[in-house]
Amino acid sequence: MSSSTRILDVKNFYVAYGYGEDAVQAVTDVSFTLEKGHVLGVAGESGSGKSTLVYGLTRLLRAPGVITGGDVTLRLQSPDGERDFDMLAASDADIRAVRWSHVSIVMQSALNALNPMRKIGKEFDEVLRTHDPKSTKAQRRERSEELLGLVKLAPDRLQRFPHELSGGQRQRVMIAMALALQPELVIMDEPTTALDVVTQREIVSELHDLREKLGFALIFITHDLSLLVELADDIMVMYAGRIVERAPALDLYRAPRHPYTLGLMDSFPPLQGERQVMTGIPGTPPNLKNLPTGCAFHPRCPYAMDRCRTEEPELMSLDNGERLVACWLHDPSSSAAVPVALRHSPHGDQQEQS
Amino acid sequence: MTERHTGDVALEAIDLSRHFTARGEGGFFGAKKQVRAVDRASISLRSGEVLAVVGESGSGKSVLARMLARIVTPTSGEIKIYGESIDLTKRRELSYASEVQLVLQDPFAAVNPVRRVRYAIERPLLLHGTNKADVAAKANEVLESVSLTPPEQYLDRYPHELSGGQLQRINIARGLSVNPGILLADEPISMLDVSVRLGVLNLLRELCDNRHLAIMYITHDIASARYIADETVVMYAGQVVERARQTTVIDAPVHPYTQLLVSSVPNPENLSHQNTSATSTTVSINFNYDGCRFSPRCPHATDLCHTNEPPNVDVDENHSVRCWLAASDEQRRAVTISSRATSPAN
Ligand SMILES: Nc1ncnc2c1ncn2[C@@H]1O[C@H](COP(=O)(O)OP(=O)(O)OP(=O)(O)O)[C@@H](O)[C@H]1O
Ligand SMILES: Nc1ncnc2c1ncn2[C@@H]1O[C@H](COP(=O)(O)OP(=O)(O)OP(=O)(O)O)[C@@H](O)[C@H]1O
Ligand SMILES: [Mg+2]
Ligand SMILES: [Mg+2]
Repeated sequence: MSSSTRILDVKNFYVAYGYGEDAVQAVTDVSFTLEKGHVLGVAGESGSGKSTLVYGLTRLLRAPGVITGGDVTLRLQSPDGERDFDMLAASDADIRAVRWSHVSIVMQSALNALNPMRKIGKEFDEVLRTHDPKSTKAQRRERSEELLGLVKLAPDRLQRFPHELSGGQRQRVMIAMALALQPELVIMDEPTTALDVVTQREIVSELHDLREKLGFALIFITHDLSLLVELADDIMVMYAGRIVERAPALDLYRAPRHPYTLGLMDSFPPLQGERQVMTGIPGTPPNLKNLPTGCAFHPRCPYAMDRCRTEEPELMSLDNGERLVACWLHDPSSSAAVPVALRHSPHGDQQEQS
Repeated sequence: MTERHTGDVALEAIDLSRHFTARGEGGFFGAKKQVRAVDRASISLRSGEVLAVVGESGSGKSVLARMLARIVTPTSGEIKIYGESIDLTKRRELSYASEVQLVLQDPFAAVNPVRRVRYAIERPLLLHGTNKADVAAKANEVLESVSLTPPEQYLDRYPHELSGGQLQRINIARGLSVNPGILLADEPISMLDVSVRLGVLNLLRELCDNRHLAIMYITHDIASARYIADETVVMYAGQVVERARQTTVIDAPVHPYTQLLVSSVPNPENLSHQNTSATSTTVSINFNYDGCRFSPRCPHATDLCHTNEPPNVDVDENHSVRCWLAASDEQRRAVTISSRATSPAN
């Protein structure tokens, strides 16, 4: 790997569901990197491939999901130094050894992921024992209590069954479990979507503190861009299986460059200011079995040009490489009438130009 | 059907309560306890207006809507429709069922997956007395009313051939097909894709403006309430704790719970609000608390708050709140005196 602070490097990654004629390309040509200790937010509407991407990266895809191309390299930290680990070439046994201890994932259905017949303490005990079979029961118990403390749960929760906890408490348990073996990368797929805003706020600020304390890198998936602006260093927006824009969180919010990012942002009514009619994104999400030609977003795009209907845009680099965007509006060789003001500033006094 | 005028009270809940008996901690062997799921809630839906009901999970929003739809029988209290009190001991009449329509959260669960859209739309029409001969024309009209045009394109499809947003429109269309005056929408957008949510919200607003429908819009999503509501009420532990016209509840909340709720919403325009002072949700909601239900979590709670239920206080003519902090000195004194007069041990 070129940079030593890089923890994850994904190149030209593809995932499909099914084979041959019936195959659905759910993740297409995705490349990105993640730095140590950074938070990468992944946004996009339902079906855009967010979950498929991270399940693919961590080799957790279930049939008929198959990885059809790409390279995924994880930089592992261990007491005797660092080494690169090829996620896609590794054997199942090697993957199991890496999971939990180097990369852990909190799944989208986490609220139901706990075994209803088992006490919380038992779940923790198992994760800890698999990792360190020589540990004693008392040691594991002490560590479990410490982990619950991290997410502000009382030690007596270990004696509880999942149904005896609220949704927010169960989500905290899942987060504590993901952190149990101090992985350097944690992935969370919509961890707060099923919770109410007050609980979400608490969990997000806890995550923030934990990350400061423990220093893990985080990939956080949600459809809620506003939440990502608060939490993430960088945000990556997906549409129809591809990355359409990636930029530092505030830059993306202040000046979205892809019309889809803008549309996504304008789908959430604001919490302040004059009320005005908003339209969101016209049309409906694309059918992956029958994607539009050219840019997959063009049928819903208010800025679409002729070229967008036939030619697929590649990710191009903007803002000195800080930002990537896959949209012909930003092609330097384009004869289109750029600049395009993609964002009316909230106060209407200045316009962003590209 | 009654003539509808914007602003007239269409449906009213007066001190409406519903209690459930549930088992406490310890599962099957736990002691039984009463849950006051809705506790003396009063709200008014007006023709041509959207009333938003917000509050955290379990605060009683759905139970309140179900009582208004008369699917759940209230433990006590009164319901009035167009000013007339209803005999809640009687079964729901068909005329009530067609006048007050309930639209649920999950559009996929609400329609039969093996029947075409036509069936979903025509069946309620026939049930509520439309002639067989008129039914096809009426069905077209209904789909057009929710912007699913041309209707022929949708009538012969199966539910799985529609997007979530289209299906929720069908669901709403079905509710509208019998020409109700009142629509109770329980989280109608929370299962929908972010990009199509606004479409459904705009549709609700349009129905309100054009057909003078009275709409109750239940949601977790405070920003969406701000977007369409003429009035917003906030529920906490079964009670209405704050209500105001327009966007006041969200722009200038008075109740500490509403303040917590609003400050918890992710808001990139204000990144400095992270540290809210109220204590966390790890304190479980106590429905049976003697004082203010929110006082165990409230950073401003005084002794009075823990022992006495707060009165409903008018902040101004368009805004009221159930909180001791907003109460007048007289209101406080009245309580101190009366509690001294009765048993102080309580
Ligand atoms: N088992 C499967 N078989 C076929 N297609 C699938 C399967 N699982 C997912 N897909 C398709 O792959 C695409 C990507 O799905 P994915 O779950 O990754 O989306 P997502 O972005 O996580 O959406 P959400 O926000 O709803 O969780 C979708 O179009 C979906 O229909
Ligand atoms: N049939 C029932 N039996 C016992 N308790 C019930 C019943 N229905 C609801 N409750 C309880 O009443 C309270 C209010 O529930 P309700 O469904 O109205 O909440 P809500 O505000 O709609 O929440 P959400 O936002 O999660 O939908 C909850 O504590 C719930 O557990
Ligand atoms: Mg997903
Ligand atoms: Mg509900």
